[in-house]
Amino acid sequence: MENASLVGLSRQVVLRRDLDIIANNVANLDTPGFRGEALLFDDFLMPVARDPDFARPADQRIDFVLDAGSSHDFAPGAITQTGNPLDVALQGDAWFVVDANGEERYTRAGNFTVDAGGRLVTAGGLPVMSEGGPISFGPGETDVTITPEGTVSSSAGVKGRLRLAAFDDNRVLSRIGDNLFAASNDAAPIAPAGNVRIVQGALEQSNVDGVIEMTRLIAVTRAYEQLSRLLQSQDELRDRAIGRLGRLQG
Amino acid sequence: MRALNIAATGMLAQETNVAVISNNIANMRTTGYKRQRADFADLYYQNLTRVGSQTSDSGTLVPAGVQLGSGVRIVATPRVMSQGELERTDNDTDIAIRGEGYLRIELPNGQVGYTRDGSLEIAADGTLVTQEGFAVVPRIVVPADARDIAVSEQGAVQARVGDTSQVLGQIQLTTFVNKAGLEAIGDNLFLETEASGAGRAGNPGDPSYGTVLQFHLEAANVVAVSELSNLIAAQRAYEMNSRIIRAADEMLSATSNMT
Repeated sequence: MENASLVGLSRQVVLRRDLDIIANNVANLDTPGFRGEALLFDDFLMPVARDPDFARPADQRIDFVLDAGSSHDFAPGAITQTGNPLDVALQGDAWFVVDANGEERYTRAGNFTVDAGGRLVTAGGLPVMSEGGPISFGPGETDVTITPEGTVSSSAGVKGRLRLAAFDDNRVLSRIGDNLFAASNDAAPIAPAGNVRIVQGALEQSNVDGVIEMTRLIAVTRAYEQLSRLLQSQDELRDRAIGRLGRLQG
Repeated sequence: MRALNIAATGMLAQETNVAVISNNIANMRTTGYKRQRADFADLYYQNLTRVGSQTSDSGTLVPAGVQLGSGVRIVATPRVMSQGELERTDNDTDIAIRGEGYLRIELPNGQVGYTRDGSLEIAADGTLVTQEGFAVVPRIVVPADARDIAVSEQGAVQARVGDTSQVLGQIQLTTFVNKAGLEAIGDNLFLETEASGAGRAGNPGDPSYGTVLQFHLEAANVVAVSELSNLIAAQRAYEMNSRIIRAADEMLSATSNMT
């Protein structure tokens, strides 16, 4: 009797987390290089919970809902022109490499700027790595150009080539905020293969699609309401059962 | 309900975005104005199930954990320092800077400001000043009987005084390593900051300095069409975030209506 409520509850807990993930996707609709996320559901066979109410086979195991994992959507976002020479967008499966206090982080957000020391940094102030360390510009250098292959040059000549990283499986990456990703399990980046191009004066937008998020949102709210009703009718059933079965003869 | 807070950060960030866009549109006709842009970044993540944690004694690992984000924030509002269009004005004390560099201005409190706005005027004592009456550094004094003021591309200011042509002074430009790090204080003026680095003065036309163009002003680099499309996108994103709040509210009320 209790099991119906508990299964419903497990689904409601998961739906709430799903809503949190949708909310985070929508909040980051305008975050450059953002990668949307979706929750993966899994059923969980409870090893001990059994329902003797089923007629045959007599001992049916109960399925609970579990959020097994969340998957990132690594599809590319739309590329928009900004006209800013230090904005770069990546086409193809590759990542910019950023140095966060000695540790390598990866990002698709190419809204770079220059800091007081002349280094090329992300919007969060972390130096962007070239194949020979950070890139810095001297005072008075102008006309920064970045070729499709990633070679950065200014009025003072070639400055270096932007380092790009790729992974066999992008799922080793987890997000750490500030548009950065970290590789887990010591996964080492490999050289990007295939057609990777850098577009100067453009920025990759978030790959979150507002329409899809809204439909997911509707699905989540409706499923949640439905479960609330189910739990309620389950409760009424129990209420009636107690009322009838507990009546004394006479 | 984490979703309520996450959607609130989204709405807050979009509000700032709209503020930045409206300031750009308001300054569409401001001489030398450089448009700003709101840069977003995601907030920190909470790992409910960490990627790569062990799921059994035989060493199987979680291939993808559950990561819940906590929303978005505005990380910076950098200025896009592209060249604005040069408009001809036919005023002999209007100068436009083509390329890198700022005019150095002496502020009334003794500080030094920088500007791209070259709509200069002549003060009562003959000094070349900005529209607010702040003197251009190095000071250039125009004699009362000077006629036909001419500014060369290299910034030399000449005028005809009586029958002779006379050099009145030299306009200097200042460049910065990180122009985007200048602090705007209004009135088209900027202050040097730690982020911008120290300014380097030089003459127009020197290597890596721009040139000056008389009879012209630099218009704002705001493109109305792209600002308006940004505004529409920001408004829709704001609406979607508010829709999340409503959905979270509906779910909460479905819970509280359970008896």
